[in-house]
Amino acid sequence: MTEFSRRRLMQLTAAGALAAGAAPDIALAGYKPMLPIEKGAHLQMLRWTGFVGADDKHWKMNSEAFTKATGVPVSIQEISWDEVQAKSGLAAQLGSGPDIIMGFYDDPFIYPDKLVDVSDVCGYLEKKYGGFYNIARTYGYDDAQKRWIAVPIGGPGDAVAYRESWVKEAGYDTFPKDFDGFLDLSRKLKKQNHPIGLALGHAVGDANTWTHWVLWGFGGKQVDENNKVTIESKETYEALKYAKALYETMIPGVSSWLDINNNQAFLAGQISATINGISIWYVAKEKFPEIYKDTRNAPMPVGPVGHQTMFNLFSQAFIFKYSKYPNAAKEYLRFMSEKPQMAPWLTAMFGYVTPALKDYAKLPIWTSNPNITPYRDALVDNLPEGYAGKPGRAAATALNDFVIVNMFADVCVHGTAPQEAAKRAAQQLREIYGA
Amino acid sequence: MTDRAGWRLWLPLGLMLLFLLLPFYWMVLTALKSQPELLNSPNPWWVFHPTLGNIIGLLTTTEYPRWFANTLFVSAGATLLSVTVSFFAAFAIVRLRFFGARALSTAIFFSYVVPPAILFIPLASVLIKLHWFNKLWALIPIYATFLVPFCTWLLIGFLRSIPRELEEAALVDGASWPRIMFRVILPLSVPGLISSTIFSFTLSWNEYLYALIYMFSSSNKTISVGLTTELMRGDVFQWGQLMSGALLGTLPVVLVYFFFVEYYVAGMSGALKD
Repeated sequence: MTEFSRRRLMQLTAAGALAAGAAPDIALAGYKPMLPIEKGAHLQMLRWTGFVGADDKHWKMNSEAFTKATGVPVSIQEISWDEVQAKSGLAAQLGSGPDIIMGFYDDPFIYPDKLVDVSDVCGYLEKKYGGFYNIARTYGYDDAQKRWIAVPIGGPGDAVAYRESWVKEAGYDTFPKDFDGFLDLSRKLKKQNHPIGLALGHAVGDANTWTHWVLWGFGGKQVDENNKVTIESKETYEALKYAKALYETMIPGVSSWLDINNNQAFLAGQISATINGISIWYVAKEKFPEIYKDTRNAPMPVGPVGHQTMFNLFSQAFIFKYSKYPNAAKEYLRFMSEKPQMAPWLTAMFGYVTPALKDYAKLPIWTSNPNITPYRDALVDNLPEGYAGKPGRAAATALNDFVIVNMFADVCVHGTAPQEAAKRAAQQLREIYGA
Repeated sequence: MTDRAGWRLWLPLGLMLLFLLLPFYWMVLTALKSQPELLNSPNPWWVFHPTLGNIIGLLTTTEYPRWFANTLFVSAGATLLSVTVSFFAAFAIVRLRFFGARALSTAIFFSYVVPPAILFIPLASVLIKLHWFNKLWALIPIYATFLVPFCTWLLIGFLRSIPRELEEAALVDGASWPRIMFRVILPLSVPGLISSTIFSFTLSWNEYLYALIYMFSSSNKTISVGLTTELMRGDVFQWGQLMSGALLGTLPVVLVYFFFVEYYVAGMSGALKD
């Protein structure tokens, strides 16, 4: 396995910047604002605390570079990622607060009329960097108003983290690529006393990720394209049966797991595999050298539908209309998305965030280590929150209320029949979607 | 005391101590453990390889000292403001005998039971109009909104327990109301004031919601907000540093209680007599 040292990271960070054609100062020399920046502008930005330390550090460095280039100071507030929605909701309600908010999923569609049109910035970035992935468009482009209401940034993608030696002992040289193989491997690992573990508590990231992945992998959908509830289907029942079988191979206690628990269980050597962002591998590399040597990351297996059905976190940045400096804010987001800034940021994070712009998949960081590569393609077949319906308040509410996670927990933990669990979920979804 | 009486006393006391001190023991253990030991320990109730790395890391790699100073500034300011205002209010209600005083004291108490979660949006509107958003000192008057009602109620009870004859004697001697307030009632109210001070300081020290919503920049964070926003990173929690921060953060409150606990009990007793 390729050894990944601090020196190598520095080389790659430099390479990322140079691939862009420049170190930061040279980039600044070539930087020219597209829009007239308001006099006396200063920006406030609210964002989620980086999942890895290098994220915040490089984001701040890039922001300082923007200040140097434009004279516009940027103050950044960081809060826990699951609190961003509440705080942006407050700002929308009051008509006052940060100029820019970096939110998650379809947050912009909760208050699309209150957001600045950023079509010019997105159009520019699409043209220059090979376009956005479909998921980025879903979360950033408002079809009703025919305009971009958020600048897509990227998503902390998911992949399988597993212990190579235990998987080999179970008879698999590589990690299975389909659902059947994954279940078979999980059963064998359980027999060897190395169970897998997937969060089934109200884990905003992890529980939603894997339950939606299984549901969609069998072709189940909470609603159709017209937001009509369609959760009661044979595809959903099959997904629930599969999840129940998988649950029986898991370590006890996953029904109370939150987002941190699978990381801790993996690093404690209690589980052999889980689905997560790159944080497990990243922390193992920093603090658990023995586990790091045996840790591998692989793409998530594919379900009977025959293509990836991932549900990753996704982040985008939006500007409220109450901002006195919309041009400065737009310029800031454009500047941060340009390669001289984006490349070192992504590289320093070891690819923790999979970027929304396709050209950034060519950065050397993604192929520098085979364990990083699975995260490069996390957004390619990513499906959106509330799939196959439209993004908006109802989809956000269903996700916040853990409707899908609770349906899976009903079957797996409480032994409810799939039909009954789906019926309960359908009832709740009908109330949410108003059908 | 017989052996049997001893058991009757010490068994429940011991159980209570165990219940109350266990979280602190767990905090100390976690603060002294390295991350590998936190996750892989043959006995989670003991530290086999204690380290000060978490505490040193907290103090040197985060803005914890700043958060600590912010919390101290806001808590001390809010306490001073609230106890002062509450003393004047309580004195007026109890001693000046004006129409509606009784109803006013009940209304003040009821205003305390309005949850902060309901108040934070209207309060935010006020702050925006005053341009007080993201100003650390703004937390002082904000905290007074929930401290003043309870402290006033507490002091009303305490002041009622002070005999009226004392002020009447002073009035006969020609003292004015302000003089009576500062020279007669204030010295006798010290236990009640200390009780209110401890109460205000503790509540301000632990406050989370308003500090999270109204403060913007990292340099304006208080301990409770700083720890949760900067040491809980997505799905990776820095448990060692979190517990170190929580442990260090309890010290001022512990010290305040340690030195003034007797006054606190006396003040509460006075309030409860009401």
